[in-house]
Amino acid sequence: MNGPSPGVSPADAPPASASAAEGPWFVEILARSGEVLQRQRVEALPIRLGRGYGNDVILDDDYAAAAHAVAELDADGRLVLRDLGSRNGIHHRGKRHAELVLGGDTVARIGHTAIRIRAAGFQVAPELRDRTLHRWEGVMPGAAGILLVGAVSLFARWLSDIQYFELVRYFEALAWGIGAALLWSGAWAFANRLFGRHARLGRHLFVFGCGLLALAACLLLASLLGYAFALEGFTHYASHAATLLLAGVIYFHLCTIRPGHRLRYRWLCAAMAVLGSGLILVANVQRSGRFSDELYMWVLLPPEVRVSPDHGIDQFMREVDGMKEQLDRGRGRKPGEDEIEN
Amino acid sequence: MRPAPLLVSLALACAGAAAVAASVALAAAKAGTAPAAQRIQGARPAAQPPLTPPSPPLATPPGAPPATTPSAPGPGENDDSATLPTPSTAAQQLYAAARADLLQIRMLLRNGRSQSTVGSGFLVGTGNLVLTNYHVVSQMALDPDVYIGEYVDTDGKGGPIELMAVDVLHDLAVVRVDRVGSGFFKVPEHPVALIQGQYLYSLGNPLDLGFAISEGAYNGAITRSFYEQLIFTGPINSGMSGGPSVTASGMVAGINVSKRRDGESVSFLVPVKYAQDLLARVARQAHPPRNFNPLIAQQLLAHQREMIDRLLAEPLSLKAMGPYRVPVRESQQLRCWGRSNFRAEAEFTVDAVSCAMEAAIYVSDTQQTGHVSMSHQYLRSASLQPLQFSALASSRFRVDRIGSSRDTRLTRPVCSEQFVHTATLPVRAVLCVRAYRKFAGLYNFTLLTASTDDGQASLQSRLDLAGVSYENGTRATRAFLSALGRRSRR
Repeated sequence: MNGPSPGVSPADAPPASASAAEGPWFVEILARSGEVLQRQRVEALPIRLGRGYGNDVILDDDYAAAAHAVAELDADGRLVLRDLGSRNGIHHRGKRHAELVLGGDTVARIGHTAIRIRAAGFQVAPELRDRTLHRWEGVMPGAAGILLVGAVSLFARWLSDIQYFELVRYFEALAWGIGAALLWSGAWAFANRLFGRHARLGRHLFVFGCGLLALAACLLLASLLGYAFALEGFTHYASHAATLLLAGVIYFHLCTIRPGHRLRYRWLCAAMAVLGSGLILVANVQRSGRFSDELYMWVLLPPEVRVSPDHGIDQFMREVDGMKEQLDRGRGRKPGEDEIEN
Repeated sequence: MRPAPLLVSLALACAGAAAVAASVALAAAKAGTAPAAQRIQGARPAAQPPLTPPSPPLATPPGAPPATTPSAPGPGENDDSATLPTPSTAAQQLYAAARADLLQIRMLLRNGRSQSTVGSGFLVGTGNLVLTNYHVVSQMALDPDVYIGEYVDTDGKGGPIELMAVDVLHDLAVVRVDRVGSGFFKVPEHPVALIQGQYLYSLGNPLDLGFAISEGAYNGAITRSFYEQLIFTGPINSGMSGGPSVTASGMVAGINVSKRRDGESVSFLVPVKYAQDLLARVARQAHPPRNFNPLIAQQLLAHQREMIDRLLAEPLSLKAMGPYRVPVRESQQLRCWGRSNFRAEAEFTVDAVSCAMEAAIYVSDTQQTGHVSMSHQYLRSASLQPLQFSALASSRFRVDRIGSSRDTRLTRPVCSEQFVHTATLPVRAVLCVRAYRKFAGLYNFTLLTASTDDGQASLQSRLDLAGVSYENGTRATRAFLSALGRRSRR
């Protein structure tokens, strides 16, 4: 049926105004997420709710009584839900109520069923601004994503290909790359179908393709900067940039599923990136006693990209002499108590 | 090429080939100071015989009573017994005369008094001193809180031993026991003159099976090891370490120390003159040292002084690899091997030269030191694109580990990395150093370099110095780095 309106919350709204308290009425059975599972129109009050067939709204819930509750106007003209002496009662916000005043957003629980009643005059939230590019859906972004993934996997294959040329190896790389893309994007499309209305596989493929391209570019750039300017930190900590990119990819996947919660997703993905980086640091320390991913920068690039100057042997040996103090400090410690190095 | 010390280790021994195989793998993996050339892929020719890993403990079924024949034959027993020559009458007489002074030396775990390793030893003259190998008593020397020693004689009687002195470099040790010798084993004032081919008789307790004598021939001294050793062409087995090798007249010629696993009856003895020096040292000292670790460190420091002095006595010789000039040292102790991937199905060519010392100093079962190795690989390709070649060179320059990072006997590596210009060649240089926790003043140096002058060729070199002082480490590193060069272009 309908997607949940963004304003759904079980907060107590002020009692509906008199003008809103006119029929027809809509009884909505909600999922835990707030989504409407079932909506039933009732022309007039009182509305009888329960498992029995004499009710206006029949609840298929074993925990509801045959005649469980009735919704009617009280003396002040407010809509109230009144318990008809059931065993399980009416619950709202964790408390049992014999009589519960219903605003348009009040969600009452009867047995295992969440119920909301709204009058026809209920004011819904204003429509969202549609920022979606509806032409960039389906085959187009899907094809672009597959192309990007294919290009990156072919490039990676080419870069590490040191044997004589064989076409089948490149096909293999292509197959693996596209297979991984379909698997990853397929999982997101499944989630999208589950929580949104469409699968949007094309969009997810495109997000994955862009992410993979960015990841490859980032690693190349880190190597380039590290080697060209002798800034070893770029390769020592490249995995953190990759973690950030991965979190970014997940952010875009999430936004594709539910565009309404961008801010929430931003925080979520930032937290994931921080957690991921923390885990990498901890794993590095555990594995090698260092925060960095590698013992030394092992990247070698063509001489043309070098910018930083060469040092003399004397300069190098001076730095080596400077290491002695740290080593001798480490000698006195027990194996488990070494300092953590960068 | 480390000859295997002849030491039966019963530590955690499980019977069966699987356990042996596992411990071989373990021993190989733990050999932190094993020649680095073996780790650089393809630095050795296929034609070279497989090299002996540091002594894997030979397993004997636990629970087998000592000095009796176990029901299941221990590994290596069958083939060795098959090659044993029939003892001559000389051997029979010798054994009968010597058995009173022949001892088995055992290392026991203090807790539980279960034996950890066993070797042999012999009473010198009519005194209460026993000569054996350092590697037989190394556990007691390094961790006296964990291990104690005891002796067992040919009649099965035992008693405690007290460690008096060690010579790590020549692999000798002197222990004191609570009994005196009959005077059969004479350690001569002046070493006996041996003639090549002369019969020698080696005594000991092979594989903890019982005391034995084996007959063989003296075949001169070897020059490949850093310290002089005698070649004994006769079977020596694990457990006979520390036993004497004597002439027919009972004069001690050497002390059993090791054998080559890839050879047949190629065994080694420590010349008796080093034993005399050690006995003289014991005679001078008032009481045995309480802690042997500083003494061992001193000996290792003396060794590395000698080793690096010898290495740098003259400028390193230069070999040409393509346009590059690479430093090597080829000598009796430092042997070089070359290798190429020529005809392999690849778009690049790699030629490799690696030089390594064939002997290292045994400190403990899992630690060997006092070792130098250097290797160079010259990588080039005409067909690979520069970026592809860079990826290849990078992957070759990436050495996963500089020794095991979990090795707690060393501190973690501390590294320096820079772009360095030698006289004629710009290189990327990485130097990582680790310090020995137990031996003050000793370090392991590893220098890695990769040339940065050419997009289609890469010269990658590695220098490993195990167990050197900081000054000698930097001195050798500097000499090696300075010698890297390139022929002037056109």
